[in-house]
Amino acid sequence: MAAHDHALVRNAGPRWDEATRSPFLDALAAGSLAEDAFRRWLAQDYLFAKDLIAFQAVLLAKAPRDCHNLLVGGLTALDKEMAWFESHAVRLQVNLDIAPHSTCRRYTDFLMRCAYTQPSPVLLGVLFGVEASYLAAWSALLPSGPYAEFIERWSSAEFAKYVAALGELANRHPHEAAQEHFNEVLAHEREFWKMSWEG
Amino acid sequence: MLHDILWRSNLHLAQSCLAHPFVQALGDGTLKADLFRAFVAQDAFFLRAFLKAYALALARSDETESITVFYELIGGVLEELKLHRTYAAELGIDLGSVVPNAACRAYTDFLLRTAWHTSLGETVAAMTPCMRLYAYLGGELVLKCSQQHPYRRWIETYSGEEFERLAGRLEALLDRVGADTREVRDSYRYALQCELDFFSGALCP
Repeated sequence: MAAHDHALVRNAGPRWDEATRSPFLDALAAGSLAEDAFRRWLAQDYLFAKDLIAFQAVLLAKAPRDCHNLLVGGLTALDKEMAWFESHAVRLQVNLDIAPHSTCRRYTDFLMRCAYTQPSPVLLGVLFGVEASYLAAWSALLPSGPYAEFIERWSSAEFAKYVAALGELANRHPHEAAQEHFNEVLAHEREFWKMSWEG
Repeated sequence: MLHDILWRSNLHLAQSCLAHPFVQALGDGTLKADLFRAFVAQDAFFLRAFLKAYALALARSDETESITVFYELIGGVLEELKLHRTYAAELGIDLGSVVPNAACRAYTDFLLRTAWHTSLGETVAAMTPCMRLYAYLGGELVLKCSQQHPYRRWIETYSGEEFERLAGRLEALLDRVGADTREVRDSYRYALQCELDFFSGALCP
C-alpha cells in the first residue's frame, strides 16, 4: 500500500501537503539551493536523526513481538544513515557538534516526550508519520543536480518498502490517539522544512 | 555556586522576561482580563507537567535529603495550582480542557523529555529557572503593587517568603546534584528561553 493511501495520511487532510512540500526541496532539486541552507539542513537533520535513534529505541522496548523485526532493522538503517551523514559532514566541512535549532529541538522534544508517555500503538503512528512524510517529500523530486544522491536515498524502493511496512504495523495496532499525534508530526515536519529554508 | 553562575550568565533572559509587555502589563495592572484568564489556563497546563517532572526527579533520587526536597516542592506546586483553581472558579476557566499553545507545548515537551530521558542534574537545571524567575518577577512587581491592584494575589504569591524559600531549596539541590557541564548550562538557558516564549505566547492566545 502506498503511503498516501493510508488512513492516517488521508485523515490528516491538507497537513500532509504542507509537511511534504517546501521551497527548500524545490530549490534543492533545481540545483539553486544556497550552500548555507543545505549545510544548515544537513547539521539539523543529523541532530534530529540522533534523537530519532533514541525515540525508536524506546519504541522498540515497548513494542509487541510482531514489531521487533522491522524496528530492529529500522534502527540498523538509522545507524548507517548517521555514519553517512558524518561522512558528508566531513566532506562539506559541516560542524555537527552544534546546538539544535529551536525548531529541531521542539520536534525532538515532542518525540521523546511521546516515547515515554504514549503507548506503542501511538508511537508506531508517530514513526510512520516521520518516515512516510520524509519519503513523500523526497520522492516528489527528480534525482538530479548536485544533491541527486540525497534525493535517491530517500526515494529509494528500499525506503518505500520500510515505510509501507511501518504503515501496516500502524494499521495492525490502531489507537484512538494515533491520528492526533500523526497530525502533530506533520506540523513539526512543516516547521522543519521552513527552518531549513529560512534559517 | 552553580545556581548563581547559571542565573548570572542568563540574567539578560530574566530581564527580558521582566521587560516583556505581558509582564509589564501584569505588573502595572493594565493587563486585559481575557489575556490573564488565558495565561492562567496555560500556566495550569504547564504546572501539571512541572509536577510530573518533580515526581520523576524524586523517583530518580537516591538520597533521602533530595527526596525530601522534591516532596516539599511538589507540595509547593500543588499550592500554586490551588491559586489557579481559585482563579479558574472566579474567571470561569475550565482547567480540564486546556489546549496548550505552541510555546506552552514546547516548554512542557522539553521539561518532560528532560525529566524522563536525561540526568537528575539536567532535570533540576531545567526546573530551577522557572522558580527563580517567578521569585524575581514577584520581587520586582511587588514594589509597585498597590492595595487595589487587580493582580495583587498573583504578585504576592510569587513575591512571598514561601515561594522564595522553595526556589532556594531547589537551587541548593542544583548545587548538590548538578555539575557545570554543557548539558546543564544548556538545560538552564533553554528553560529561561521557554519562559520568555511563554509570555509571548500569552500575548496572542
